[in-house]
Amino acid sequence: MTEYSEYNPIVTFVYFLAVAGLAMFIMNPVLLTVSLLGSVVCFCLKRNKGEKANVLIFVGLFVVLALINPLFHHNGVTVLFLINDNPITLEALAYGVTASVMVISVLFWFRSFSALMTGDKLLYVFGRFSPKFSLMISMALRYIPLFAERSKKIKDARRAMGAYEEENLWDSVKGGVKVFISLTGQSLEKGIITADSMEARGYGSGKRTFFSRYVFKKKDGIALVLILLLTAAVMAAKMAGVLDFSFYPAAEGELFSVWAVGAYACYGVLTLLPLMSEITEREKWRYLRSKI
Amino acid sequence: MVVIKNSVIRNIIRIGVPFLLMPAVVAVGVFVFDDKSYAFVSLAVALLSCVLFVAGFEKKRTGTGRMALVAVLVALTVTGRFIPYFKPVAALTVITGMYLGGEAGFLVGAMAAVISNFYFGQGPWTPFQMLAWGMIGFIAGLFCDILKRGKLPLIIYGVFSGIFFSFVMDVWTVLWYNRTFDGSMYLAAIVTALPYTVIYAVSNVFFLLILKKPIGGKLERICLKYRL
Amino acid sequence: MEIFKVKDLNFKYALGTEKAVNNVSFTVSRGEFVTMCGATGSGKSTLLKLLKREISPVGDKSGEILFMGHPIEDMENRDSAAKIGFVMQDPEQQIVTDKVWHELAFGLENLGLDNAVIRRRVSEMASYFGIESWFEKSVRELSGGQKQLLNLASVMVMQPEVLLLDEPTAQLDPIAAADFIATVAKLNRETALTVIISEHRPENVISVSDKLMALDHGEILAFGDTRETVAKLTGNARFMEGMPAAVRLFSGLNLKGACPLDVSEGRRFIEDNFKNDIRELPKKLRERSEEKVLEFKNVNFRYGKDLPDVIRNMSFEVRKGEIFCLLGGNGSGKSTTLALAAGLKQAYAGEIRVFGKKIREYKAGSLYRGCVAMLPQDVQALFIGDSVKEELQEVKFKPDMFPFDLSPFAERHPFDLSGGEQQLLGLAKVMAAEPRLLLLDEPTKGLDAYAKKEIAGVLRKLKGLGLSIVFVTHDTEFAAAVADRCALVFRGEVTSEGETRQFFSENNFYTTAVNRMTRGFYDGILRVREAEEIIHLNGGH
Repeated sequence: MTEYSEYNPIVTFVYFLAVAGLAMFIMNPVLLTVSLLGSVVCFCLKRNKGEKANVLIFVGLFVVLALINPLFHHNGVTVLFLINDNPITLEALAYGVTASVMVISVLFWFRSFSALMTGDKLLYVFGRFSPKFSLMISMALRYIPLFAERSKKIKDARRAMGAYEEENLWDSVKGGVKVFISLTGQSLEKGIITADSMEARGYGSGKRTFFSRYVFKKKDGIALVLILLLTAAVMAAKMAGVLDFSFYPAAEGELFSVWAVGAYACYGVLTLLPLMSEITEREKWRYLRSKI
Repeated sequence: MVVIKNSVIRNIIRIGVPFLLMPAVVAVGVFVFDDKSYAFVSLAVALLSCVLFVAGFEKKRTGTGRMALVAVLVALTVTGRFIPYFKPVAALTVITGMYLGGEAGFLVGAMAAVISNFYFGQGPWTPFQMLAWGMIGFIAGLFCDILKRGKLPLIIYGVFSGIFFSFVMDVWTVLWYNRTFDGSMYLAAIVTALPYTVIYAVSNVFFLLILKKPIGGKLERICLKYRL
Repeated sequence: MEIFKVKDLNFKYALGTEKAVNNVSFTVSRGEFVTMCGATGSGKSTLLKLLKREISPVGDKSGEILFMGHPIEDMENRDSAAKIGFVMQDPEQQIVTDKVWHELAFGLENLGLDNAVIRRRVSEMASYFGIESWFEKSVRELSGGQKQLLNLASVMVMQPEVLLLDEPTAQLDPIAAADFIATVAKLNRETALTVIISEHRPENVISVSDKLMALDHGEILAFGDTRETVAKLTGNARFMEGMPAAVRLFSGLNLKGACPLDVSEGRRFIEDNFKNDIRELPKKLRERSEEKVLEFKNVNFRYGKDLPDVIRNMSFEVRKGEIFCLLGGNGSGKSTTLALAAGLKQAYAGEIRVFGKKIREYKAGSLYRGCVAMLPQDVQALFIGDSVKEELQEVKFKPDMFPFDLSPFAERHPFDLSGGEQQLLGLAKVMAAEPRLLLLDEPTKGLDAYAKKEIAGVLRKLKGLGLSIVFVTHDTEFAAAVADRCALVFRGEVTSEGETRQFFSENNFYTTAVNRMTRGFYDGILRVREAEEIIHLNGGH
């Protein structure tokens, strides 16, 4: 279904780093519009089932963020109107809109990121660099649902012996704190058993390897190179000043020079990679299935 | 293969990050992007400090028992973040720092930030939360003797860490949106975030006062009993 | 080939006053299945841990432990970790990572093996254990029995020469426990794996073990061929507690010669040696009070709107002063029934009455004041303080209300107590609210025979104080020993119910070992003591 998620997690990770990173640090209205469109497409493609886009919240956030800037910044030559003797300028508004496009698109990128990069995959990416840190994350991830169950049990146990009252707010807070303390005591004691179990199985006996079920396939290599090339192209354009655009005092910068359009295209391809891979994989699958 | 590769990479991170990458990041931030791209620089610095810390931790030999305890505390802290409004995240980080040392404090704060964001949403703010909570735990480790002495230091540190966390997050928010540091906007951010800052400070003090003795006592006992 | 050779081993805990292991010497050869038995505190767990260097306790040690001819201290770290496998009691807490596949790979990662080797070994192990279908799962989706099998597999994947197991089935229900032991026995038979297992209920493993080691106060009382060692131990009351019913009966009759070990041997032994002119013990009539303390009438419950019923049309009643037992398999709904009675869950249909009043009408915690209290399955959920004294102070416990003296433990930490002591502390905490109806969820889980006897005694005394008690268990022997009435819960319903003797006599499988041994020869005999009695009535040997 979500074929792009079948890529090696390193590819997925680098992809989001590149696509969101570029959006965050290149303040170019056209590029950011491309980013917003791409991020929404990607989100619709990759979101978990049942997760709603919360369109209203995003629209609201967009409006607020767009309006904050002109209220605080009064430089800019095109005065629209005055509030309390402070000029509201077109340039400041334009900047606000651009910045909020940036923020919203980054939020969308990260939501797709969270949907795709499950704990397992993130651990795979970091596990190669930091086995100890990622082992601890893995342990903590195991404990979280366990502790939720445990604290439910403690709460029930305390209630059924008359030691958990919730007649008023203060009692509930006190009760909750006691449940938490009991949970802590029990979990710390039992944590030592886990440590024993780790040592019994050779933890700390020498250099550790990191087992993963993901393999780096040829298609991952191709995708990675493609991502890096496109990113490099956009970065080069940025360094060459092609994408420079300044808002104050008056909007300045050529948005649609040939080179700039080239850079937008590269970034556009980058943002649409998930969609393209999804389509090709779907076609491939249809073809393979027709042969079954 | 993997082993060699790993150790090389780790060495590069360990030596390379502080001496080469950090200045490089600043240089890139200044020359490649806008000359005013503080947001980029600050994000990179936050990320790299976390990387640096983890690399240092990776290199050191840590007792398995301590590791398991830290994992338990991380999970407890993440669980604590689900409490509405009043969250014991910073308090638990501080208590860890006080009783298991600054490094453990940093780890609990930083890891709780990453892991809880699996549920609360990852974003460019993650490294800043890691750094802010991590530092709160780390500093608690440095001043553990003073903090253990009485209620007043604990109250002061609780308030301080609430303000510190708010400060770091507000600075980042303004930088991210505005790209340069902007006084009036920062002031506005502080004012709008004031209720949150107050809630942070109050819940820090509250949880520190009621959790220090029972949880600190349990940590002390376990360290003593199992000689950690 | 000698796997372990232990010579003059002595051990004292850093903070202990007495030797936990006292002058122990023994040899275990390849392929042997050795069972260690002894009461809590007999030193069997300490001895096992001393054989595994990584988790050896801290203290003064003297003597020698040789593994395949070499002192274990001189072994390479990785050899020591891989070749001596260790499975602990708690299925949940031994698991390190959050995914089944990662847990299986964990030990091999520690050994520094590369991906291809790990992949091969992990898949081989998963296939052998038949756990392929859970390979991708999160560990939290597994049942207790499955978790313990995963722990076993995660150790076996490191290809150990010897497997040490420290009460591995204590936390499992009887069916999962039997499965687990069968798997270990299969490994022993098929791969010549050496097994040393400590068991608080030796009856589960005695039929598959080659040798038996009896420990008491850190000393080996007897060690050798299972049958011979059992014969040596008959007459030693402390050791007989945890032995199979046939052995206990044999011992109780003070007989000499070949001792029967299991139900079928026991049956033959009885038929060959004793008469059955009198088939029944004289009945003791028990008055049943008219007052109903707990009443379920057509109760239905489910965990969510779209989920199936867990409790369907359940009806039963408990009278004042009764000990009432709910028996049933895993997932039959017996623990849920208890939670409903304790007001922790609400039925969507039917009626639950406590002391004649509808449970819904108890407002604002009044149900838990001088009325109902429940001891949860995991008593540690009740602990919050740093000493027994603090625990008891928390609930304003008055010692004169509780028929067991906890003062000797007052300064100890609750988590340093043995399982039985923890259970008693939990019971004391729960009793502090002065309930008239006490609910217990598997009060004997993880306990050895001695602790069970202690709990049974306390429950009888509480009953004597006028309390009504309802408990849930898997343990037919315990139910037969303390319950006045029993009910079988099956798929959320009570399918049979009756006075204990009658209840078990009518069951064919779900009954005590003694009952299965005497069925059709004597009538209504549930316990070893009763079997001894009727044999004496029939003229004995």
